[in-house]
Amino acid sequence: MPIRERAGWRNLAHEYGFHFHTLYGKPYWDETAYYRFTLQQIEKDIEEPSEELHQMCLEVVDRVVDDERLLGKFGIPDIFRDLLRTSWKNRQPSLYSRLDLAYDGRNPAKLYENNADTPTSLYESGFWQWLWLEDNVRNGELTRECDQFNSLQEKLVQRLKSIHASTDSADFYFSCCKDSEEDRGTVQYLQDCATEAGIPNRFVYVEDIGQGGNGTFTDLEDRVIELIFKLYPWEFMLSEDYGPLLLKNRTQWLEPLWKAILSNKALLPMLWQMFPGHPNLLPAFFEDEVEWSPGLKLIKKPLFSREGANVSLYKGGKKLFDTDGPYGKEGFIFQAYYPLPKFGDNHTLIGSWLVDDQPAGISIREDKAIVTQDLSRYLPHVIV
Amino acid sequence: MKRTKSINLDRMKKNGPRFWFKPVALAVAGAMLSACSDDEREARVYTSLEVCKSENPEQAADCEAAYRKAQEDAAKTAPKYASRQDCESEFGINRCTTYPHASGQNWFMPAMAGFMFARALDSYQRYQYQPVFTSYRRSSPFYNNWVTADGRSYGSNRSTNVTVGSDAFQSKPPVTRTISRGGFGSTVAAKSSWSGSSSTRSSSRSGGWGG
Repeated sequence: MPIRERAGWRNLAHEYGFHFHTLYGKPYWDETAYYRFTLQQIEKDIEEPSEELHQMCLEVVDRVVDDERLLGKFGIPDIFRDLLRTSWKNRQPSLYSRLDLAYDGRNPAKLYENNADTPTSLYESGFWQWLWLEDNVRNGELTRECDQFNSLQEKLVQRLKSIHASTDSADFYFSCCKDSEEDRGTVQYLQDCATEAGIPNRFVYVEDIGQGGNGTFTDLEDRVIELIFKLYPWEFMLSEDYGPLLLKNRTQWLEPLWKAILSNKALLPMLWQMFPGHPNLLPAFFEDEVEWSPGLKLIKKPLFSREGANVSLYKGGKKLFDTDGPYGKEGFIFQAYYPLPKFGDNHTLIGSWLVDDQPAGISIREDKAIVTQDLSRYLPHVIV
Repeated sequence: MKRTKSINLDRMKKNGPRFWFKPVALAVAGAMLSACSDDEREARVYTSLEVCKSENPEQAADCEAAYRKAQEDAAKTAPKYASRQDCESEFGINRCTTYPHASGQNWFMPAMAGFMFARALDSYQRYQYQPVFTSYRRSSPFYNNWVTADGRSYGSNRSTNVTVGSDAFQSKPPVTRTISRGGFGSTVAAKSSWSGSSSTRSSSRSGGWGG
């Protein structure tokens, strides 16, 4: 649905510190239109399936952690398997996830992938689109009955509070890597939520983390880091110089290490093996299990990849097109080709958020191209 | 309602300065908040060790220990500035001291103005302490106020009695000697050097590993 932009929203963005609404000269936040859902669509087609998919994902973790062969298929290095198992057996708390869904408003939503380790677009979802709705109801563009599936901020504040309360750590660290305004913005938002929860919090860049005595990690002022959220993928950390330090280290990490199973594309064929034919799943296969037939169209995805990088489309075993990127040396999986629904000229992807185990809202990205990537525009939504 | 009921919009605004000039290092807390907590009580602020000892003759040793530890903590936790000018712009002319930084360059931090001191509520320790700072700069939000290293304000420095919650004395995290840095983050450098040219379109951003 088209809608007038709020007057002066860019100034407002500046005031609230939302600095990445335009990326590389192209709009990222787009409020010239919005998506409209019925409550029935939200609750029956997105919220309930998200909760169910998440539970199914947890069952996959439970299966995989005890199976050396499967851990191998997930590309988990041998030396970290005990650590991963322990993180799962101890049920180390998790903060949030985003399930990417293809949903056309009528047919069952299909799971594309699970961004369980380092999901972004959190600030735009939890706060900025919330503010957009409040403003538009106040200025009369939208009616008072309009709602939004978006309790992200409320749930994040509560979740951070309970995680912090379960540790005896005074300071909650938040971390991302340098040179990404977007990632820093996401992490700052989590810090805002922590502050709202009354939790003392600090920031350190991933690259600045130091090695202290006795297997500790330190910040730039040599303080020991006991509890830290990192917007940085586990598979990177495990392969880097400090990876082995994790084995004797007592720092509590968010997301916990067991999330490495969920953020891994090997999750998709595992889900299909354990829940074949589930209406919210697309058929998916490990690389060595694909049986090609002439018309079969499959998408090949690397085990570890982000923002639509290194994805290719195959038909009957032949490559039709691909996207470029730095991923793929760890292996690939194949997933049934299921193009994103098209509204007007745009392909639309729904991000369905969970905080801990609870559905907490959606975000919408659209793109003229068929594979949504990091510069796809973000649009708000309402429930009417 | 399927959305967050209410959001504290003031807290979400980023243009309100905590410290007026941006420190290079700072123990971040909900700065500019006045202290509030369920279990409020009185504490004293001493600007010298002698006053503490004369007021608490039976706790003279505690005063000495508190003073010494407060000074140590102040060095670790006070906001640090890259230039003397930045520091003085916040705290006043000649109110800043140097802090040797690992880089070999000096940073600047406000001098400790005094230390909070209170009898402890539990039996394990006899006293609690916290270094405090103040600003002599009219334009600073901390002008003539007692302020702790995290930017919390505890009222006018004309009064040596302050009302504090238990969080005022919250112990700082343990500190260790850092052996090395930079063991995480190398994959970013490697992958960032990749610049995308895809068959659908070209897009890549530097850094950034969210998804």
